[in-house]
Amino acid sequence: MRKFWLAAVVVLWALAFGQQEIKAGWIYVGPIGDYGWTHAHDVGRKEAEAAFPWLKTVYVESVPEGQAGSYIDQMVRQGVKVIFATSFGYMDAVQEAAKRYPDVIFAHATGFKRAPNVATYMADFYQVYYLNGLMAGALTKTGKVGYVGAFPIPELKRHINAFTLGVRAVNPKAQVLVRWIYEWYNPAAAKEATEALIAEGADVFAFTEDSPTVVQVAAEKGFPSFSHYSPMLKFAPDYVVSGQLVHWGTIYKDFLAKVYAGLYTPKNLEDVDYWWLLPQGAVELGADFGVPINPKFAGRLKAKQVDHPIFGKISVYDLVMKLHGLMKDVELAFDPFQGPIKDRKGVLRVPEGLRLTKHQLETMEWAVEGVVGPWPNEPK
Amino acid sequence: MKLVPRPAPKAFEVVWVSTLAVLLAFLSSLLLLWLYGTPPLEAARAIAGGVFSDPRGLAEVLRRAVPLILVGAGLALAFRAQFWNIGAEGQLLLGAVAAGGVALFSGIEGPGLLFVMALAAFLAGGLWALFSAFLKARLGVNDVITTLMLNYVAIYLVDWLIHGPWKGKSAFGFAYTDRFPEAASLPLLPGTALAWPGVVLALLLAVLFAWLLFATKLGFEVRVLGENPEAARYAGVRALFTLSWVALLSGGAAGLAGFVEVAGTHHKLLAPLQISLGYGYTGIIVAWLGRNHPLVAVLTGLLVGFVFAAGDVAKVALATPFQLVQVVNGLILFFLIAAEVFLRYRVVWGVRRG
Repeated sequence: MRKFWLAAVVVLWALAFGQQEIKAGWIYVGPIGDYGWTHAHDVGRKEAEAAFPWLKTVYVESVPEGQAGSYIDQMVRQGVKVIFATSFGYMDAVQEAAKRYPDVIFAHATGFKRAPNVATYMADFYQVYYLNGLMAGALTKTGKVGYVGAFPIPELKRHINAFTLGVRAVNPKAQVLVRWIYEWYNPAAAKEATEALIAEGADVFAFTEDSPTVVQVAAEKGFPSFSHYSPMLKFAPDYVVSGQLVHWGTIYKDFLAKVYAGLYTPKNLEDVDYWWLLPQGAVELGADFGVPINPKFAGRLKAKQVDHPIFGKISVYDLVMKLHGLMKDVELAFDPFQGPIKDRKGVLRVPEGLRLTKHQLETMEWAVEGVVGPWPNEPK
Repeated sequence: MKLVPRPAPKAFEVVWVSTLAVLLAFLSSLLLLWLYGTPPLEAARAIAGGVFSDPRGLAEVLRRAVPLILVGAGLALAFRAQFWNIGAEGQLLLGAVAAGGVALFSGIEGPGLLFVMALAAFLAGGLWALFSAFLKARLGVNDVITTLMLNYVAIYLVDWLIHGPWKGKSAFGFAYTDRFPEAASLPLLPGTALAWPGVVLALLLAVLFAWLLFATKLGFEVRVLGENPEAARYAGVRALFTLSWVALLSGGAAGLAGFVEVAGTHHKLLAPLQISLGYGYTGIIVAWLGRNHPLVAVLTGLLVGFVFAAGDVAKVALATPFQLVQVVNGLILFFLIAAEVFLRYRVVWGVRRG
């Protein structure tokens, strides 16, 4: 419904003021054919292009960080007025280009430096990870959940922490065993890491890597897993429980509609920072779009009962659905990082009754209790 | 059809065969783009427009060419001595590491900082190569293997530094060092992204290497050692001494390329594959196409720089997928290398009766 109103406002605006075509350009860090980050951004770009008749889009893929500036030059030369730079590493190049082209609007994904013509945006999964953690905690028999991580950066630490909090909310003694592979895309390393985790006794898997490898390796051994970034249900229909999915198009459409309507100009973006979660529809819980929980696991999740501090005796299935509903609420009636939370060294990180600020979430380096394995840059 | 070896080609033959190869390469690239669905004329116009229409486009050719010329001129020297240095990529990275270390931790202020960074980069790249030269001259260890393998050591060294001890406090947990201080940035040509001192450095070094090679005793020894190691030994050329100089200079030049990349473009250390876009490997082709002459390597470096910059333009202006751009880049280099055959051999048609 909100989408309809947005579209209606934009169309009326266009009829009233007759604004011309807008050309927007995307700078991608990987190939659009990957099965993760860049692919998802490109789906968002196409969605925006299909939604708005006045929008023309261009993109360039596999852009090295040192070359971003020169690609921006070329896009501007072609009349591109809005540029989305979709990797943290482009931050300085975007800042410099923004000074060079004060009339062009820039939006930088995952960054934190803004300017009058530079906005930042991010669709984050931490709420979804918590829900996946609840299910993982219910499904593990060994009490060990495996996690294959790309890089030990705050984004992944936040996600693994939220996931672990979910696991332990259902299964207080369970552990999350973490392995890092130091690459965003490396199926061979992901396979090795998964096998190592299986050898250590893990029997449920989640991961951050841009291929369905972990899902496939786990399924071969008959272990359930959670898909990452793109829908991976089809790779193992009997074993993918749920997962996290992204809708960058939601952000792109909102942003571009506001540019078109004249709400965003190259002069007023200093405070425009999208941190979009479940309520805005930027992320989704599911093994596939529209499949929050694989029906094949509904029975096991309904059978597992927990004693929840808020809901009392409740099945994990219902708990996931209830909390999902609460977190989709704009009021954010529930948050995974709700105090008191101690890190695994015993330091109180979130005091009773408090939640973390966006900045604290974005710079999280500590590990919650239950996380097992190396954790570079862990605070003392 | 037979290929018959022929004596050293004359200069005009080299020029016309190479020019023809370049033309054919560009024509076949346009053909490939046409097959993909881009009209050739439009492609040529878009690429020429993107590269030559404004100073930023033109500067981009030079920006890509500078590391290629530095690496290529140094490798020309190394290959003359039959020091098969495949390790310029690692030497470039070591140069970047040394320059970055000085920029971040030396505390030097003012213009002296850039000078010390360059010196450190030169020494780091040079010493990295010197190690392989020593193994070759003293123990007869295959230099192709050692130089190549040291590339991986360099890659993992950079990875370790940016994930570990040198990880920046301002990097938000991502694998970068902090940004270098302002004094560690090479000045840019106004209105472009080109660090002009890099251009000067590349030209100076190419001239210096050419002078060394053709006008000094060391250069003479290098050439003798490369063309006939037995005769060289007989004539009293000190293999270890000569090879060491060659390694130091060629590795040092690659190290300087690393310095120019971090001080001119990146201003921090980052993932090794982002610091160098394979310049250490492409530099081998630059040297080879330049017939191992440091001054010709300037021309071939510019040519390859143009090919890369043109590919960048095609990716945006023609929405050419990056895979196709890489195929075209490979195709052009293939043509250039294939042309070598026609300079070294004469084609004889039909069966010759002896």
